[in-house]
Amino acid sequence: MSDGLRAGDPVLTARSLSVRRGGRTLVAVDDLALYGGEVHVLLGPNGAGKSTLLHALNGLEQADGELVFTGRPVRSRRGRLALRRATAAVFQHPHLLNTTVQANVESGLRLRGVDRAEARRRAGEALGLLGVAHLADRRPVKLSGGEAQRVSIARALAVGPAVLFLDEPLASLDPPTRRALVDDLLRIFERSAMAVIWVTHDRDEALAVGDVITYLEEGGVVQTGPALEVFARPATASFAEFLGLETFLTGRVVNGADGATRLLLEGGGELFCADALDGPAVVAVAPEDVVLFTTRPDEHATSLRNVLEGTVKAVGPSGRLLRVDVEAGGHALGALITRAAFEDLGLAVDSPVVAAFKASAVHPLSRQERRVAEAGWSERGGVSWR
Amino acid sequence: MQLIWEGFVEALRLLLGGDEALYEIALRSLWVSGLALAIAVVLGIPLGGLIALTSFWGRRLTVTVVNTGMAAPPVVVGLLVALFLTRSGPLGEFRLLYSNWAMVIAQVIIALPIMTGLSLAALQQLDVGLRQQIAALGANRLQAFFCQLREIRVALLAAVMAAFGAVISEVGAVMMVGGNIKGQTQVLTGAIVQETRMGRFANAIALAIILVSLAFTANLVLTAIQQQGRRV
Repeated sequence: MSDGLRAGDPVLTARSLSVRRGGRTLVAVDDLALYGGEVHVLLGPNGAGKSTLLHALNGLEQADGELVFTGRPVRSRRGRLALRRATAAVFQHPHLLNTTVQANVESGLRLRGVDRAEARRRAGEALGLLGVAHLADRRPVKLSGGEAQRVSIARALAVGPAVLFLDEPLASLDPPTRRALVDDLLRIFERSAMAVIWVTHDRDEALAVGDVITYLEEGGVVQTGPALEVFARPATASFAEFLGLETFLTGRVVNGADGATRLLLEGGGELFCADALDGPAVVAVAPEDVVLFTTRPDEHATSLRNVLEGTVKAVGPSGRLLRVDVEAGGHALGALITRAAFEDLGLAVDSPVVAAFKASAVHPLSRQERRVAEAGWSERGGVSWR
Repeated sequence: MQLIWEGFVEALRLLLGGDEALYEIALRSLWVSGLALAIAVVLGIPLGGLIALTSFWGRRLTVTVVNTGMAAPPVVVGLLVALFLTRSGPLGEFRLLYSNWAMVIAQVIIALPIMTGLSLAALQQLDVGLRQQIAALGANRLQAFFCQLREIRVALLAAVMAAFGAVISEVGAVMMVGGNIKGQTQVLTGAIVQETRMGRFANAIALAIILVSLAFTANLVLTAIQQQGRRV
């Protein structure tokens, strides 16, 4: 099916699509388009409606609204079946049939009426692509989690889908297996014109695989855009928080004659920040972007343009790192540093500390900025909001 | 003890000697129970699928009725069938009472709830995610149903074994609607009852050996199919 597709072609579009169950709207999307050759990530916390939207998009779930697949509207049960036959889906669990790996990978083709010899050939190709051809005669119970998921993906790719739906495909795998699978998938996607829609709640995974990211919350789209731009300019505080941008500061953006963009902080002080329009603004800073010192660093020796002197208020573990809460000039900042760095700096609660971060680490939030700004903030860079 | 031993010896002599009457009864048993089982399988599995995979008003009551049917005493089934087939009954005009067909009907009624009930239970146990995956693979409703049957084939064969066991061994219904007429409607279980009553223990033992052998062979074949490529 993907043979006739070209990268950049619109493959699947949804307009005013909603899924309701028991009188409750589980997901409602105004506009969503998938393009050939593009990996579109549906990102969001648990319960955001990502999987429900995915099911609606591939015809597994009946939805209200308009769904158009390669120019043809999908309305009836037959239309949804045709959509499913032109696409393929992989879920968090591989859900392999209780037969051999080979028969599993052939199954999608056989259900589409492809003859046995052709199905065998195409299944062999798909297994080879995923590096699991040697498992062809095994049964699913004899496979590891990673192998089973590779077989499941091979089964999906064997049918040559126009759209590949991936619902948390890495969620059950250990980190090394995930990394290897991501590398292989990206290699496969690069050479294919199929559209990929990838559901995840993992922001790192989203950034690693996504060309376009749509962030969902409570069944609605919060923001859609090119992955890097969405990550650089999250629309809302909750999305920023989801991305790990924990420190939020408010003030007024002023673009100076020197070309620098400054945020004049409420309560005094100023920060250099990433590009933004003049006006009231909310900015977010990721704790991993904040560097701690015991004395002011040499301004000319580093690119850390924002330097704030303050006091350590609290220290606690955060995974393999330590999270240090700093109060500087009446503002609360979070920083993530290694245990070794913490010991080297000799920090303790109430000890003086200097927090520094780059101007590019100060992310103005697009929607909050728009809300607080009296003048409208024009859409740019493909970033849009609800 | 002497009686039992002599019975066994005589039974073996009858079996090895190819007693025609004995084998005729055995073949009739196989034919009646085999046909009843086949009908129950063909009707019961789709019926189980329909109940398991669809929602309708009164579904829970239907499941309760099917489950009750699984425990229906053969004599009650025999009574019910006899009431329908007797000359003055609703189906009396077909003159089926005391025929092999009457026994087939009775045994279908015994086997059908077993096939339906166990099929629907197995289908309901199937992972919802797997069902979704089968649909996502591009299966239409019929293909999806057969894919699911393939996934529950071990449970289905267990259902077939249970249903076969129930019909091949029951005596109440076949005697009531078949009449246990020698040379016409007599099956193994009925013949064992009759021979025992008449004190012809050797014949009864020979018939019992055939009955047990039949059940064992059928289950041997079904088990071999069931355990092919078992998961663990």
